Amino acid sequence: MSDAPFRNPGWAGNTGEFDLTEEQVRGDDFVGERPKDGGHPSGAGALPYMLAEKEPEAELFEGEYQERFEKILTRYPTKQASLLPTLGLAQELRGYLSPETMDRCAELLDLSPAYVRGVATFYTMYNKRPVGRHLVQVCTNISCNLAGADEVVDAFLRYTDTELGETSEDGNFTVIEAECLAACGFPTCVQINSRYYENVTPAEVPKLCEHLKAEGE
Amino acid sequence: MAYPYVSDHEIRIVSKYFGDPKQRRVETYVERGGYKALEKAFEMGPQGVIDEVKGSGLRGRGGAGFPTGVKWSFMPKDSGKPHYLLCNADESEPGTFKDRELMRWDPHQLIEGCLIGAYAIGAGHVYIYCRGEFFEVNQILARAVEDAYAKGYIGKDIFGSGNDLEVTVHQGAGAYICGEETGLMNSLEGKRGQPRVKPPFPAAVGAFGMPSTINNVETLAAVPHIVENGGDWYRGFGTEKSPGTKMFCVSGHVNKPGNYELPLGFPLMKLIEDVCGGMRDGRALKAVIPGGSSVPIIDAEESARCNLDYEGCIEVGTMLGCASVIVMDETADIVKQVRRMVDFYAHESCGQCTPCREGSSWTAQILKRIEEGRGTEEDLDTLMEMTQQMVGTTICVLSDSVAAPVQSSIEKFRDEYLALIRRGERVGAA
Amino acid sequence: MAEMVTLTIDGKEVSVRKGTTILEAAKQVGEEVPHYCYHPGLSSPAMCRMCLVEVEGAPKPMPGCVTTVAEGQVVNTQSGEARHHRQGVLEFYLVNHPLDCPICDMSGECYLQDYVHAEGRKHGRGREPKRVFGRDDFGGDVLFYGDRCVMCTRCVRFMSEVEQDHRLTVVERGNRSVIDTFFDEGLDGTHFHGNVVDICPVGALVSKDFLHKARAWDLTHTPSICTSCSQGCNIDHHTRDNLVQRLKPRENLDVNGWWICDYGRHNYEWMNHGDRLEAPLVRGGEPSGAMGWGDALRTLLERAADKKGSVKAVASPFASNESLGALKRLVDALGGGDIVYRSPRAEDEVTLEGFPTLVRRKDLSPNTGGAGRLGMKRVGDDEGHGGLENVANHDGVLIVLGDGLLDQAEAFGADAGLFVYLGTHGSAAAAEADIVLPITSHAEMEGTFTNYEGRVQRFWPSLDAPGMARPAWLVLGALAAELGRGSVVKTAAEAFAALAAEAPAFSGMTYDDIGTRGAVVNESVSLTGD
Repeated sequence: MSDAPFRNPGWAGNTGEFDLTEEQVRGDDFVGERPKDGGHPSGAGALPYMLAEKEPEAELFEGEYQERFEKILTRYPTKQASLLPTLGLAQELRGYLSPETMDRCAELLDLSPAYVRGVATFYTMYNKRPVGRHLVQVCTNISCNLAGADEVVDAFLRYTDTELGETSEDGNFTVIEAECLAACGFPTCVQINSRYYENVTPAEVPKLCEHLKAEGE
Repeated sequence: MAYPYVSDHEIRIVSKYFGDPKQRRVETYVERGGYKALEKAFEMGPQGVIDEVKGSGLRGRGGAGFPTGVKWSFMPKDSGKPHYLLCNADESEPGTFKDRELMRWDPHQLIEGCLIGAYAIGAGHVYIYCRGEFFEVNQILARAVEDAYAKGYIGKDIFGSGNDLEVTVHQGAGAYICGEETGLMNSLEGKRGQPRVKPPFPAAVGAFGMPSTINNVETLAAVPHIVENGGDWYRGFGTEKSPGTKMFCVSGHVNKPGNYELPLGFPLMKLIEDVCGGMRDGRALKAVIPGGSSVPIIDAEESARCNLDYEGCIEVGTMLGCASVIVMDETADIVKQVRRMVDFYAHESCGQCTPCREGSSWTAQILKRIEEGRGTEEDLDTLMEMTQQMVGTTICVLSDSVAAPVQSSIEKFRDEYLALIRRGERVGAA
Repeated sequence: MAEMVTLTIDGKEVSVRKGTTILEAAKQVGEEVPHYCYHPGLSSPAMCRMCLVEVEGAPKPMPGCVTTVAEGQVVNTQSGEARHHRQGVLEFYLVNHPLDCPICDMSGECYLQDYVHAEGRKHGRGREPKRVFGRDDFGGDVLFYGDRCVMCTRCVRFMSEVEQDHRLTVVERGNRSVIDTFFDEGLDGTHFHGNVVDICPVGALVSKDFLHKARAWDLTHTPSICTSCSQGCNIDHHTRDNLVQRLKPRENLDVNGWWICDYGRHNYEWMNHGDRLEAPLVRGGEPSGAMGWGDALRTLLERAADKKGSVKAVASPFASNESLGALKRLVDALGGGDIVYRSPRAEDEVTLEGFPTLVRRKDLSPNTGGAGRLGMKRVGDDEGHGGLENVANHDGVLIVLGDGLLDQAEAFGADAGLFVYLGTHGSAAAAEADIVLPITSHAEMEGTFTNYEGRVQRFWPSLDAPGMARPAWLVLGALAAELGRGSVVKTAAEAFAALAAEAPAFSGMTYDDIGTRGAVVNESVSLTGD
């Protein structure tokens, strides 16, 4: 490992023929900071994953979040259709979907709690139990696998000293394998919280983790 | 201009502004001629648009290759019900990464395509069902849609034409099967994303029980160009039966993996050698999956004969799918890779139909055992027979996708399986 | 006239209504297409893939449960191809099935067992470790054995579509999918959840009440009518060793569909109670003591001879129409008098939302409809108590049929000139009865009840009567005939005919007409009483 400052390998701006900054590739400069109330209703259900700290006990949908929830409701002909964005928003605030959270979402949308549980467990992005501050999802599907994704997983597990699905002792990391993240041209792709880190090699993993830890502090 | 590499062989239509961050801004998009096609479409009338798209020969880019104009013409004309256009942006087929690039570099191109499509089929509301993992893309899309609303390209009385169109960005939550059109509809409605029995077809009973059409991102992205330049212009690219250009997502053991927009009918070997800079480390080609993990694997000899269009792929016993070319060199371990693909399908099976729910995980278990050197020759017969029972026996085609790599790899790379069975040895490294 | 479609199924031509599914059409030519997820009372998700049939000209096998018939269609449900598909699907079912038939409650009536025996592979090829879900208590009467589940989701759909209380769901996906409730919420507090056990095609959902109680092949099934309220749900008694082991719904779309409520389902223990009256008993005078029917009835008639002219009777709404009719004839023969009955009432009705014809009625007796139509008056409170003040001290002939008099004092009927008590069990309040006659419960006799809407429905004997107990219509009919009212009735059908001849509400009806589905009474007759 060199002592060079951390450079995100993941924005795929470090391969190919383009001279772009990470912000330009990711569109951060274009999107800017999205308002907590969701902005225009058309995009209120699309989540920025912006809260750094998730509070399992946080109030569900107050103030700006209540506005955002109500905007979501206006975009669908049925209340039930708001379920997926609503669960997403709840997870955004609380970090995972506890039985109490599912129950509350069911109440808000006039659905049965069992129904909500059925839907929530169908989708992999809803965490059914708490995860680390950084949820590391390593794609090990074919294209990344051909490029050595298994070794990348091992590197993460070694660094975090965890087994797959476990949360590290310091609460910083939960490492899981993920299915294809649709970044096959930039293997190995790793999704950490909302971000894609692409072209990740085992050698870069410790530095990446150090960087994430520092970012969280 | 593809991303992140560029090739002279490309014909850049939908990918023209890849790698240009300015293109995301509505002002730039309009400066460069954006939203002109929408205005033109309003003048052509819905039938005019459908005829133009029919004439272009544009085929669905999500994998099935069904003619888009024909699909649009299935929508009822005077149903008296709300219609919906759904944009399938739930890109998750292993090997495919074109829609993410199309959306993050040129969101307004997609929005304009959606608006034209919605107008053509009489839909008042477009839902862009964007894959949940694409947080960045979702934010870019949300911002772009917001900008388009602000400029009056979406909303009430667009261009004073009296046409009202709404667009909503809907973020998925992690389920491959929601890329299946009826699974997507169920998911959009707030249900488990399980595919529905057809008939009824979406044009009759779709999202929220209303007539609906669903199109892939790449399909809709091509629509503004077809409307603007005419169907005949689009037919000038590609082959007679597979007109136009297509995004090719190349991954695996090539020197320059990435997206390339090429005319359909492009020879596979030329793609690997000339466009993608050849095989990694100059190794020999072993196998290619030309259309995403759901299509049969072809070997080096078949690859040499394969032209990348819908018909050309069928000729060598595979399918173009969504043109996701996964290239494997001589070091690739076929059994492991097939097992990994089947693991994926077992993980993503929605669990409704018995052959898929039980068959996909059973297949994965047997493959894992073979991979670990504990298989028998009878296992291969069992695999061939049971995967055959998974073809055509389920509601959707996910279970057919399990059969494709298993059967084709056992046929073409039987020696690798036998080597593991006989000696417990693995061929290749990764 | 509905539009008809003609097609060929397994070489047999059949005409069915347009819109019929292939699966239902096949039934009409006598072919059962195996299936799990399809149930006529639920939506069809077509997900079990068992009912795949070969439709000539179709590129793929078609699910018979959702594919509707088309003119000229040629369908093969038993061809090599169709069987081949089923064999394949069955093998998939067994990959993770525990094959614990020897300890499974469903064994013997399990559709997985049946189909595999009929069409499955001789030997499974699965060599991998099986998935284990284990057991879960779903609350109420339901226990869930996850490993046996075939994921047909009938139970989930019953709760959401029929009971309309979405308590069950599929959690997770793929081969990790499993039926569950919302964590610990369970099914407690729902009123129809027992039906999920009935519609489970395998042993995944089992009844706690029935758990390990009897093997399916040892049970005798007898059609009957539920006695827990006046809805008159069609049920079967499942009996073994002369005991009712459980009640199961019997299909009747006019009354209860395929369903029954949990209250009725579990209210059967009383039919098994011992300590029964087994022989006629005569008290006071000569002869007295336990004796045969001939002596007892002769004594009764002798003692009644000088008591004509003043009769009061208490009937039970659990007695059959035939018994009530015979009581009325006897009362008339003895000079006439009032007949009253008592019946408990619930505070609320409980409606099955997805099949609103089925309601657990407020009226908690099976035959108030019959008693009312025979001019008997309801007395007493909602507990089925009280209201007998005028009867208790009656000094003429007093007849009690089936009412256990549990709320009455021991001195009940002490002043009566003749007190005749007909019952299944003894009663402290029958201490003063001059003549005690053992009668059968409805489970031990053939007969009919009239439900809340006037539907007359037949039931059949599922248990042997104890000792010398006889149906009340036989006993009362014989007495009335002896007194010159009507002829002697020897069968339940004759008893019903005698009733139909006298009571306008039942006129023109016969057992044959009523059949197994019931028939509605002549509604021009107004009800009296409650």
